[in-house]
This record gives sequence, C-alpha cells and structure tokens, in this order.
Amino acid sequence: MDWSSPNKVIIQGITEPEIAFHAVQMKAYGTDIVAGVNPGQGGKTIEDIPVFDLVEQVLTIADSIDTSLIFAPPYQVLDAVKEAISTGIRRIVIFTSNVPPLDSIELIKCAQASNTLILGAGSDGIIIPEQVLLGKLQPKFYQRGKVGLITTSKYLSYEVAAELNQTNIGQSIVVSLGSDRISGSSLPQWLSILNEDPHTEAIVFIGQRIKKAEAIVAFCKNQECDKPIISYIAGLKTPKEKVLNDAVSIISNHLSTSIPTVNQERRIVNQLKKVGVKIAKRPSEISSMLSEIFHSQTS
Amino acid sequence: MELLEYQAKELFRMVGIPILPSQTIKDSRKIKQLQIPYPVVLKSQVRAGGRGKVGGVKFVANTIDAIAAARTIFNLSILGEYPEVILAEAHYNAEREFFLAIVLDYELQCPVLLGSAYGGMNVNALLANLQQVVINTEFSLFHARRLAACMGLSGNLICSVSEIIAKMYCLFQEKDLDLIEINPLGVNTQGELMALDGKITINSHALSRQPIINTLNLSEYQKEHHPNPVGWHWLDWNNRAGKIATVCNSFDLALLTWDLLNQNRINPACGVVIDDNFTDQEQSPQLYCDRLRQILAELTSTKKLKVILINIWETETASNEILQTVVDYVQSTSELDLSSSPEKSNLSIKSANRDRLQNSLEKELSPSQPKFVVRLLAEKDLTLDTGDESIHLSSSLENAVAKAISIVKSN
Repeated sequence: MDWSSPNKVIIQGITEPEIAFHAVQMKAYGTDIVAGVNPGQGGKTIEDIPVFDLVEQVLTIADSIDTSLIFAPPYQVLDAVKEAISTGIRRIVIFTSNVPPLDSIELIKCAQASNTLILGAGSDGIIIPEQVLLGKLQPKFYQRGKVGLITTSKYLSYEVAAELNQTNIGQSIVVSLGSDRISGSSLPQWLSILNEDPHTEAIVFIGQRIKKAEAIVAFCKNQECDKPIISYIAGLKTPKEKVLNDAVSIISNHLSTSIPTVNQERRIVNQLKKVGVKIAKRPSEISSMLSEIFHSQTS
Repeated sequence: MELLEYQAKELFRMVGIPILPSQTIKDSRKIKQLQIPYPVVLKSQVRAGGRGKVGGVKFVANTIDAIAAARTIFNLSILGEYPEVILAEAHYNAEREFFLAIVLDYELQCPVLLGSAYGGMNVNALLANLQQVVINTEFSLFHARRLAACMGLSGNLICSVSEIIAKMYCLFQEKDLDLIEINPLGVNTQGELMALDGKITINSHALSRQPIINTLNLSEYQKEHHPNPVGWHWLDWNNRAGKIATVCNSFDLALLTWDLLNQNRINPACGVVIDDNFTDQEQSPQLYCDRLRQILAELTSTKKLKVILINIWETETASNEILQTVVDYVQSTSELDLSSSPEKSNLSIKSANRDRLQNSLEKELSPSQPKFVVRLLAEKDLTLDTGDESIHLSSSLENAVAKAISIVKSN
C-alpha cells in the first residue's frame, strides 16, 4: 500500500479538543484534509475544514476518501470504524487509546472482511518526513532519510530519530503501531510493507514489550527480508508487572501466583539474533550499527 | 476491576447461573439474623486466592460457632488484606467439581473458553487437565459443547455444563469482561450443577459504560483502585538502595532512562511518570507545572535521594516553562532552608541571565538537597553543566544520565 501518494483524508471526531492543532499542522505539511465528521456538529467549520454529521455526506464535496483518521472517544470508535468502512474507506488510523478490547476485536473482524488496513488503536500516526503527515507525530523531530522506523512509542521514536539525525541517516517513514494491547495491524504486516518500500534501506523496530518483537522472528523465517533489521526494546530488565497475554498463562497466574512464569526475554532475544536481527542496547547504538551497515554496503 | 465472590455471584444470578442461597455480613454480631438454615459456610471476601487453605473459609453448625468463626475471619488477613464482608452460604454436597472460565486472550485477540474436569483447590491437577476452545468466530452453543466434550464429560452433563458456559459468555460479552471463572462448579449425585465460587474481572477501559458497578457495593479497595486520574503515577520500582529518582513524561521514556542507568550498574530508587502532555491538553500549562512541583515536593520530602533526573520530551517552548518550574522549585526550597540568603530574587532563565542563575544556584542550595539533572530539548547554549550547581541541564539524554551517575558516584 502506497502511503506517499496524494491522499484524501477525513478526520472523524474533529471537534474533540486538541485535534484542531494537529489538523492545522497536517494541512501545513500538505495533507489534503477534505472534511471533518462529528455527529451533531455538521455545518460548522474548524480551521477552514468543513464538518459533517455523517461520513457519507463528505462525498457531496469529494469524489472519494482514501483515509480516515479517527479521534472519536473510546466507546464511539467501533461505530466510527464501521461507518468509515461502509463508506468505502480502506485505510484507517485510530488515534484514540484505551478502546474496550471486545470492541477492538469486532472492528478488526470488520476490517478483515472488507480488506481494510487499520493502524491503532492508540496510534500516533504515520510520517514520511518532508512529504506526508498523518497524525500526531511532530515533524520537526524527523529528517528525511533512508531508515524506516516502526514504533509503539512516540517518544522513543523521537529519541531514535534524534540519534539518526545527528549522523544524517534520517527516516524514510515512521509508523506508530499503537499503544493498545489489541491492534488493527501487526508488526509483520508493516515489516513487509517497509520491506517493499523503495525508499527504505533498513528497518528499525522500537518497542517496550519483547513479546511484540517475537513477531519479527516468524517474519524473518517465513519471508525473504533483504533489508537489515535492528530492534531496540526498552526496559528489558526493568522490574515490571507481569503482563500475561495468552489465556492459559492468565488463568494459571490467576489460580496461583506461585506458578513461575518463564522468563521469555532471553529466549526471544536469542531467537532474534539467530534470524539476523541486530539488538541495540540504547538509541545511540542504532545509529552506529546503521553507519556500519551502510558503510559495508558501499565498500 | 476484579469483583469479589459475592459480587460475581450477583452477576451469575442475573443470567441464571445457579448459586446457593447466601447472605452478606458486615458485622459478626449480625450473624444472629441469618436467614439461611445451618450448617452454613462462612467465606472471607478478599481478592486473594487460596483463602481456604489459610482459614478464610469455615463450616459452622450453629449460631454460637458462627459468631466465633465470623470474628476470626474478620481478624484474619489474607495476603495483607482484611475482609470488609463475609459471605454466609448454604452448604452443598458436591460429588465432583469442575473448573470453567472464559478469558480474553491478547495473543490470539479473541476470547478463549477454558475447562477442567478437575476443579477445586488442587491447582496442579486442574491445570494438567485444562482444555481450551478458541472463539475466533461468532460464539455458538456448540463451542461450549466442544469444550465439555474435551473435558471428558458425557451424557446430560454435556448439555447442562455447556448451557452454563453460554451464560458465562453472555456476561463476558455484555459486561466487557477480561475474565470470568467458576471454580468449583459443583455437581451433586443427581447431576445438578451449582456455581460454588466465582471470579469476574471487568476490563478497566470499559468500566464507565458498565452501570452495573454502581449497584455492586464496592469495597474500599475497589473504590481506591477505580481509575481516578491525577495526571501522574509512581512506577513500581521501589529500590531502597537507590539514589536516583526519575521523572519522565511517558512510560517508555522511563524505561529507556532506567536502561541507561542500569547499563552503568545503577538502579534508580523510584520513578514517576507524568501522564499528560504539556500542549495536548484541555487544561492550562499552569496545571502541568503545578503537578511537576507537587511531584518534586513529594520526591524531596519522602526519599533520601542524591539526584532527581528529569527527562521530559516536549517542544522547546514547553521545555523552557518546565525548566523554569524546576528552577523556581529549587529556589523556593532553598529559601526555606537558608532564609537569610541575600541573593535570590529574579531568577529567571527567560531573562537569559544564565551566569547569574548558575552563580545563585551554587550559593543557595543546602548540601542535603538532591541535585537536579534535567534533560529537556533546548538550544545548546542552555546547557549548564559546569561547576557544582544543583541544576544540570542537557539536551542529550546520554549526557544527562552520565551526569547523574557522576554525581551519585562522587560522594
């Protein structure tokens, strides 16, 4: 899916506080925001953007809509996604976080049935520096370049970008996967999108849960990935609450907290290394690793 | 939010999952007015599991025994928790005990039915025989029958158990649950089923669309842990030997900061995360700065710290205000400490009088105060990292961390 092409964008939930700021920023960056949608607020304009009650009403002023950015409150997200899909929109970014998980499960089903790509919930959006801005990432912290960042955290991506900018490596695209535990598009999906992106020469995954990074292992085993992948996982050794994901672990832990949970971190780190993924210990190490990779490629 | 047994059973009753006649008691003397015929089981209503093994469940045959048992239970802490309520329940003769649960599986991104024909307190046998059915399409009764069959059930039990599962699933969907569990589900000699104990966890992000929680008589603990945003929270890092506290504006930044300290063999004492953004909010930046002051006051008053390491990623405008807040805070505390100090007014970084800031800081701070290492995005010339002043500012995280470490190691 090509995100760099011209793109007609709507914002669902445009009258939520703080959204106007991002809308202005996106327009200044050249994003074609055709309209906003907010039930009951139709007829208004916000920062020169016309507001409609329904998504389908936007089609009275535009031939088609490519992308919807959803900022609706958590309990209205599922409905907003269904409305966007029924109007034919096939790219959706959900910025709202803390969507009830049963709603997330249902909206993912709707997306799969209609072949819609959903980023989020809890995403900060996508930026292609100096080209496309969809969402809340602050453009001034990024610089155009050749490394694709996939991140679960806005701030960690700023830290990494700052290091890359110092060595003039820059970013080809930055994708924020979303902070919610259930997300519409997965890490492997984005790995394969970036693997095919002609402007991306290397991929960096930035996250805070090793469990998510495990998906890279499967991706590298199943698919030909010819671009180098570097991964930085924050807090590998930090004392933290156990976060259990699968049903049997959850129930075992619930029945008796004395049942030990296997420390998966070392195992996953080793698997990642085995499939050729480099593990950076800190953001500054990412830029030195990349410099080395690019240097060896040119020589 | 985790419900207590009697609250979970209230939900069971609403969907027709069979439960025993029962009554809640808040005071051991009230047990005289018990409506349930003896023998009765008294059960401590705490969140912790394993209460039966430590005396939180007692069988009683008459009122005198019951009063004594109730007193004991009210005074018995289970993993540090005293019950506010005891559940008095009729006795049930179970011939077999099953385990049933529905859990939201975050890896598969769908609910999973779980069951074991060996329910009850023997967790090892239960888990060894645990069966599961993944619900990745619309739930239908046959999914429940499939689980019952996997559990090794036969005859009428296949139908009666799967009907209970269907009712659990109904609660799971309607009430936005993370988990619903019946353990044990008692089966008597006639093959009748009874939910003898149960647990329910409502997903915290869905609580405010579940009016049911307003009718459940929440315990003090549950009320306390009801999401009540104050704008910042502590991280569970308590390390008594630590000398550094971190203040970050996101959990991820806190992890990164911890990593960098840990890679130099230093573990922070504690961490604070500010949940709000400086700009992205309805409230004023003033409130943000007030919160930061509150956090700093709490850190300096309660911990024996050498360094408070502040790592906040905000725009430069916001960074200036945040730095000003820290400077003001340090100044106000030093005024308290050294009220006779003559040189203290007009300390402002906005006025760009940075040499003066540096000088006055050096003079004004008492040695017992922790030093402040601040990492904010700022123009390069704002870096004040010479001498022995109490606020060090750097726009590079790694430099800030190195500074914090050198302070800790220097004395």
